[in-house]
This record gives sequence, C-alpha cells and structure tokens, in this order.
Amino acid sequence: MNKAYIFFLLGFILSSPVFGASSSVELKPVFIDLGNKASLQRGAQIFFNNCSGCHTLQYHRYSKFVNDLGVSEAMVKSNLILTSQKSGEPTKLGSTITNSINHDSIKEAFGVVPPDLTLTARSRGPEWIYTFLTSFYEDDSRPMGVNNKLYPNVNMPHVLWYKEGLKTYDENNQLILKVNGQLSQKEYEQEITDLVNFLTYVSEPAQLERYTIGFWVMIFLVFFAFITYLLKIEYWRDIK
Amino acid sequence: MSKFVAWIDQRLPVSKFVKNHLSEYYAPKNFNFFYFFGSLALFVFILQIITGIFLTINYKPDAASAFASVEYIMRDVEWGWLIRYMHSTGASFFFIIIYLHMLRALMYGSYKKPRELLWLFGMFIFVLLMAEAFMGYLLPWGQMSYWGAQVIISLFGAIPLIGESLALWIRGDYVISDATLNRFFAFHVIALPLLLFAVIYLHIAALHTVGSNNPDGVEIKANKNPDGTPVDGIPFHPYYTVKDIFGLAVFLTIFMFVVFFMPEFGGFFLEKDNFVPADPLKTPEHIVPVWYFTPFYAILRAIPDKLGGVIAMGLAIFVLFLMPWIDRCKVKSIRYRSSTYKILLASFVISFVGLGYIGMQAPTPILTALGRTFTLIYFAFFVVLYFTSKNEKTKPVPERVTMHE
Repeated sequence: MNKAYIFFLLGFILSSPVFGASSSVELKPVFIDLGNKASLQRGAQIFFNNCSGCHTLQYHRYSKFVNDLGVSEAMVKSNLILTSQKSGEPTKLGSTITNSINHDSIKEAFGVVPPDLTLTARSRGPEWIYTFLTSFYEDDSRPMGVNNKLYPNVNMPHVLWYKEGLKTYDENNQLILKVNGQLSQKEYEQEITDLVNFLTYVSEPAQLERYTIGFWVMIFLVFFAFITYLLKIEYWRDIK
Repeated sequence: MSKFVAWIDQRLPVSKFVKNHLSEYYAPKNFNFFYFFGSLALFVFILQIITGIFLTINYKPDAASAFASVEYIMRDVEWGWLIRYMHSTGASFFFIIIYLHMLRALMYGSYKKPRELLWLFGMFIFVLLMAEAFMGYLLPWGQMSYWGAQVIISLFGAIPLIGESLALWIRGDYVISDATLNRFFAFHVIALPLLLFAVIYLHIAALHTVGSNNPDGVEIKANKNPDGTPVDGIPFHPYYTVKDIFGLAVFLTIFMFVVFFMPEFGGFFLEKDNFVPADPLKTPEHIVPVWYFTPFYAILRAIPDKLGGVIAMGLAIFVLFLMPWIDRCKVKSIRYRSSTYKILLASFVISFVGLGYIGMQAPTPILTALGRTFTLIYFAFFVVLYFTSKNEKTKPVPERVTMHE
C-alpha cells in the first residue's frame, strides 16, 4: 500500500542533512516540451511508480490530469491513484496528490521529510532536477550507498538505480556507469526528461494554455493599438 | 436624454464636472512620451484594485494556508493564474511607471511653483505605494516574502531606544508570524488602498487647479484667447483621451506580453525562492528585495553602520520631497537649462539605476565600492543642485510652447 514502508524497514540512521548545499556543478540542459502529451504521460507514470511513495504534489489534483494529460478518468483512477482514504476506499479523483507517509517515522529513516515536489521545477528549475537525477554515484560511506554530485550528501537514495545502474567516478573525475541498469544511458536520460517535463507541467499547469491564449491576446492588442493610433491621428489632425 | 441629464444636473452637477475636468479642461498641446505615465499609473492602480478584489476572494491570510491558497488560485480557480499574474506583474509595472513619471517631473521641473503641493502629494503616493508593495509581498508567504519582511522590519530595530519595541509593534510578534501576515493583509487590502485613493484624489485635484506643466515648462495660462481659453491648450477630452487610449493600448501590449509569456520576468517580478513556502528555520542563501526597492536597499548597504544605513535610506526618499525648494532655478524645463543640470540629472539617473543593480547582487568588494560611489552621487545631486541652481546660466525660454513632430 505504501511504498515508503519498505524504506522504513531499512532502519538507517542518517547523518544530519545538509541543507541547500550549493555546489559549482554545471546544470545540464533539458528539453521541455509541454505540448508532448505522450512525454507528460510517461513522466506521470514514472512519478507515480517511483516517487509518489515519498514525495507529494500536494497543491495539484488528480482530476487535472484528465484534461491536461489527455487521459481518461478511469485511467487516472487505475494507474495514477495508488493511495486510499482512511475509510479504505481509493482516493477520490478531485483530491490533491498526497501520500500516507508518517513524518516522524520517515524523518527517523531518512533524516528529512521528503520535500513536496509541486513547485520544485519553479523553485530550482527543470535543469536542476534533471542534473540531480543523473548525478547519483556509488559511495559506500553514505548510508544509502549513494551520493550525489549536484547535491553532496543528499539523504535521498537513488530510487531509479534499477533503471540507470550505478555510476562511479573515473580517473578524470567524470561519472561513468559501473553497474548496468535495465535501461541504456540514453533511455534513462529520456525517462528523466519525461519526468522533468511532467514536473514542469505540475509546477505551473497554466503553461499549457498561457501561451496559446497569450498569442491571441497579443494579436488583438496590436490591432487595437493600431486602431487607436489611427483614431488619435484623426482627432489631432487640426492641432498645429 | 437631455431631460434626464437636466434632471440629474439639478441634483448633482455631473455636466459641470465633466466640463471642468474633461471637455473644457485645457492641457498643453505639446505633451510628449513622458506624459503618458500619469494616466497609466491611474489605470494600473485601478487594475490592482480590481485584480486584488478577485484575489482576496480566494486568498487566505493565515500562515498555515496562505501559500497553499495562492497555489489554489494558480490551479483551481478559473482564470486565477491570469488574475494573479496581472496583479504581480502590475506591481512591478506600477513602479516602472511611477519612476518614469517622477523622472518626467525632474526633467521638466514639474515640481516648481505653483506645483509644489502637487509634487508633495505625488511623493506621498510614492511612499504609500512602497508600503503597499512591501506588505503585499509578504502575502504569498514564500521564503522571500518571509525573509525579505524579516530583514526590512528588523531595520526599525536599529533606531535607538525605541527601535526594538517599534519592530515588535509592527510585527505583532518576535519574528514574522501569522500575526504579521494578518495585519499586513489588513493594511494591504484596506488601509493603504484607502489612503492611496485619498492622496491620488488630492494629487489630481491639485493638478487640475494649477494645470499641467509641459516639456517646455511654459505656463499656458499666460497666453489666452479672447474667450479666456489658453492659446496653447487643448481640451483634455477628446484630444488627450484618444491619445491616452492609444498609450494605454501600447502599454497593455507590453504588459500582457509579460503576463502571458514571462510572468516571472527572469526572477525579477516573481523570485524563485518564493515558490518555496516560508520556513522560519531555513534562511535563504541570498535575501534580496524585489527590484523596485533595490536602489534604496543598496544605499542602506553602502553605509557600514546599520543605523547610519537606515538613516541614509530614509534620507534618500525624504530628500525627494524637498525638490521644489532644493532646485532654485526659475527655468523649469531641461530644454532651456544649463548643461550643469543636464549632467547632474544624468548622473543621478545613472546612479539610481546602478544602485538598483547593485542592490540585487550579493555584496563583493568592488560592488560595495561602486555602491558607495553611486550613493555619494545620489546625494551629491541634491547638494550640488541646491548651490548651482540659484544662478544657473539658462537659455531663453520661448513665449509659447513648441511642437516637435
């Protein structure tokens, strides 16, 4: 029922978190295309299968996916809603996207409460998320066995290691794959791109319509400005 | 229809009002680009009130739910995102407009006799607007809202003796908290808008008493037709109504472009850190006020002493009130003033923009030195102007306004 549960069993006691550790790692570019519904759908799939156990999207609602991702209500209910209400019934379509992790227990297990991800693409930027998820490497000194180049000593385990495999530093201080995962490097990067695309959409759903409406508003205003200019010229004809 | 108008006019002088302030209110015919910003400021004020009302319908002034209620507006309220972006973009554009409006006054000497009160009311509007923007910025309850307010209010603590109690009194708590949010909400949506409304009324009333200045700084009332109307004046309506509508259309094109295509404006209008809910236990690495406060913030930081910085910042605003008495030159417009004034004003504008830039950056030794230089130039403008303006070598001012087209 709750994927976070499995991590509780690990019972790691973690060192104190390093907040906002800034590093000089260069962010990798990521191609965001909110018009690509298939990519958004894949991103949602990756999110709900791998991230939603610990991370919430607490300001967003499941019902939004129906229109925004172009999927049916039934599909949202069966594929994306993985939680249930206290009564035991599945979470309603109109609910916000939360989970049932217990903050005290998860803090004990990981040292931090996993952050809500609704606005991460706005506060940190898509490039940051993309770089973060492709910068995990093996580090035995860390409780989870992994560390992150972008966010040193982060408390999050490399959840997607089964897809990516495990990286390590080579002699040139570059990250290279040490253990292969289910996906090739390229496939993994595509999946992360989809995930980041999805999170970018979630961070501001209005983006889906903002540009289109804006385009028509611009056309109207330019036309309106032109008409008012002609009107001004006409009225001012006699002013010398 | 005319019977209806007559019926109204017997009871309320509507026609007389329209005549006095629109159809027979004479404005100089030589207004240029800089004269759009008065009516635009009024437009943006009304826009902020209207979008603000709609935001208030769904916003919750409560530390526990404020941030979420803003996201609710952005996602679940029909057109909520558009209303919110218009309001947030409107705040920044309000300052762009006001700064250009003030620059216009400095260029054409619009604060000079008989327009001293007009200028003073304008300055009160500016100060009220800064308070309004500052308090409004706390409401989204993001990290920058919270820490920005924390830093600015703690400045009051620098005042000797009463400082700490004053800061406590403003916050209503020892730190920024729910109590602060609630009272800032009250000030932002009721108290300050009402005051603004009143002072804007006085500003316009004073303007319509003395009439507008113009780019030549010539009093149009000095030259009158036999019927008593100014020779160089034209009725505000229809001439300036159609012209201002055109100005408004151009403004809206730019404004709505920002609203739809770049509402964050690269982090200047909506800061990245403000998409993280306020967390009293986690200070952001780099606390910066929104761009329109950064010139004054840079002056604050330029002074090594906290109290000194607060005084300098206060003085930087206060000294502007005194412009009508600092600038003693009889000639109004920069067109007919000495190159001394032109150089002074240019360096003032450069230092203001420079301070604005420096106020956004993390301090470095070079920027601090530059910030101090600009602060010096900022204040030097007023001092040098006071001494040079009395016997300034000016060019002859024409009898009538000139038209450039």
